[in-house]
Amino acid sequence: MDDIPSRTPEVVTNFIRVREVDPRPLHLLSNSVTMASFARPSLLRIATRSPLRQNVGVSQAVAFHASARKQILPPLPQTIEGTMNDPVPVPETKPSQGSYHWTFERAVCVGLIPLSVAPFAAGSLNPVMDAVLCTLLVAHSHIGFEAAIVDYFRPKRVPKTYAFCQWLLRAFTLTTAVGLYEFETNDVGVTEALRRIWNA
Amino acid sequence: MASLRTTSRLFAASRPLFRPAAFARSYATVEATQNVEPNPSENPKMKTFKVYRWNPDTPAEKPTMQSYQLDLNKTGPMMLDALIRIKNELDPTLTFRRSCREGICGSCAMNIDGVNTLACLCRIPTDEASESRIYPLPHTYVVKDLVPDLTLFYKQYKSIKPYLQRDTPTEDGLEYRQSPEDRKKLDGLYECILCACCSTSCPSYWWNSEEYLGPAILLQSYRWLADSRDERTAERKAALDNNMSVYRCHTILNCTRTCPKGLNPGRAIAETKKMLAA
Amino acid sequence: MFSQKVAQQSLRRLAVQQPNLVQSMVMRASPATMALGNVQKRHTSSNSEDPTQILAKQRLNRPVSPHLTIYKPQIGWIGSSLHRISGVALSGTLYLWATAYLASPALGWHLESASMVAAMGALPLAAKVFLKTTLALPFTYHAMNGVRHLTWDLGRGLTNSAIIKSGWTVVGLSVTSAIALAFL
Repeated sequence: MDDIPSRTPEVVTNFIRVREVDPRPLHLLSNSVTMASFARPSLLRIATRSPLRQNVGVSQAVAFHASARKQILPPLPQTIEGTMNDPVPVPETKPSQGSYHWTFERAVCVGLIPLSVAPFAAGSLNPVMDAVLCTLLVAHSHIGFEAAIVDYFRPKRVPKTYAFCQWLLRAFTLTTAVGLYEFETNDVGVTEALRRIWNA
Repeated sequence: MASLRTTSRLFAASRPLFRPAAFARSYATVEATQNVEPNPSENPKMKTFKVYRWNPDTPAEKPTMQSYQLDLNKTGPMMLDALIRIKNELDPTLTFRRSCREGICGSCAMNIDGVNTLACLCRIPTDEASESRIYPLPHTYVVKDLVPDLTLFYKQYKSIKPYLQRDTPTEDGLEYRQSPEDRKKLDGLYECILCACCSTSCPSYWWNSEEYLGPAILLQSYRWLADSRDERTAERKAALDNNMSVYRCHTILNCTRTCPKGLNPGRAIAETKKMLAA
Repeated sequence: MFSQKVAQQSLRRLAVQQPNLVQSMVMRASPATMALGNVQKRHTSSNSEDPTQILAKQRLNRPVSPHLTIYKPQIGWIGSSLHRISGVALSGTLYLWATAYLASPALGWHLESASMVAAMGALPLAAKVFLKTTLALPFTYHAMNGVRHLTWDLGRGLTNSAIIKSGWTVVGLSVTSAIALAFL
């Protein structure tokens, strides 16, 4: 144990020597070197205590990369409203965004099943059923996109992005609906067009 | 010593009176940390544990992964045993919560090898070649090392009024009784220990934890919705009927997959949605 | 140790009989304690800052623990994210195409069915199969996984084993049916 002071500088000089020859940034160097950069005397002591542990004692603290890079949907710094003993506020009851919305969404999904299976059996749909399919598809897409926007762009975190995405979605849903109407009235209809493209 | 302990509470302020200076407890000192089993056995089964570290005293430093090596021959079978050994014998600065060591308190919830679980119920994989990675519960604010801040989680729990709400007394003035069938509906719900494993495994809760209640709280909420003795079912349903509280659930079902108690928060939420739609 | 115990026990007895006396004893630090130099002096606070503010400030520094990058890949959440990605891809294609079709007269593009069929017909076989697969796979996956979701909404198939089984079934069925559709 008494030999620690004499040994420690040795390791440090080793480290410096490596630095001189190796132009790579610090974090790319081998773990043993990175460890030395922390110059934790206790770790060095372990590393030099016995030859058996010399290899395993190194590589103790490695920079954590998962959070160092750009974060995925980074949340705001933590703030807590009210004291620890207050419950979070209960939101207003809005079935139009809650239970009715959910039931409507499921109804659209259930309706889409026969309408997307039928063309495989019949080749394509008649214009009325094709129009129904288009309407359901637009509704389903709009609800799906909206769910993604609400999930990923919380108004509290990114209010402007949230508002922009919502308006963009509304605009696109409108143009899509009108575009599909045009296609249904002036062209052969979605299922028939798909059938022809597929068999082309 | 036992008597000392019991009386000490009574005379907490007067303790120095009866304690000679020689008995005074010295301040805890942080010893230098080391990372390798100090006295391995003859044929050591050395396993590497990589643990997430972050110290609030140096907030500018980024979180790091620190590795420790333990001899599995000298360590108990569970992850919590390994963590306790690391703290006791290698690095006293490592911080984590633990209490009962038998999966009933929910303190030692953490992410072990990519899955949320209780450290006390999680066996150490005996494969020495692979290292085990231990993180705090995902997407939580870290107080220190493996300790997440669950303040919001508890505040959300409080918001669902987790207690029996009833106005009419029973006819005979005795306790509120229910049929064995009604009682059976609470099985798989009342066992929840609120360890937050499921909530912090849920991507929806990661992105929207401030408004979405998360699987654990929704399971608790359903526990009161399903209780035949509760009389405020309509009120409870109204509190959930908005776009955030329940309907951020997209049945990803990480909750059901990860629950260390084998409960099914995913099913509880599905039943809640059915109740709300009806 | 023994003398300490005796002293405490007698004091406890005293506390039961004459609580006021003991309290006054405890409150006034005795000269003996002073001599031992072991008294803790508690000032009102070590700093004048509001303790709730100290905590609030600490909270602002806290990192967020890693999540998506460290969570073990499992069929449940990977399948669910694929469900959303495939849905966004399909609906995105529909939205972009329909909007482009609406704008095509003004922009001079040709997105009528006849010209699209002609464009498709001009492609070599490999490109056709590739294009059809990239369109069919998101559709088959999203549709089949959608049915899985609907059964869950009925409260069925929500055990761990059923979730895993149905997840892999959907993956297998969607891939095979997409390939079948591509060669149709």
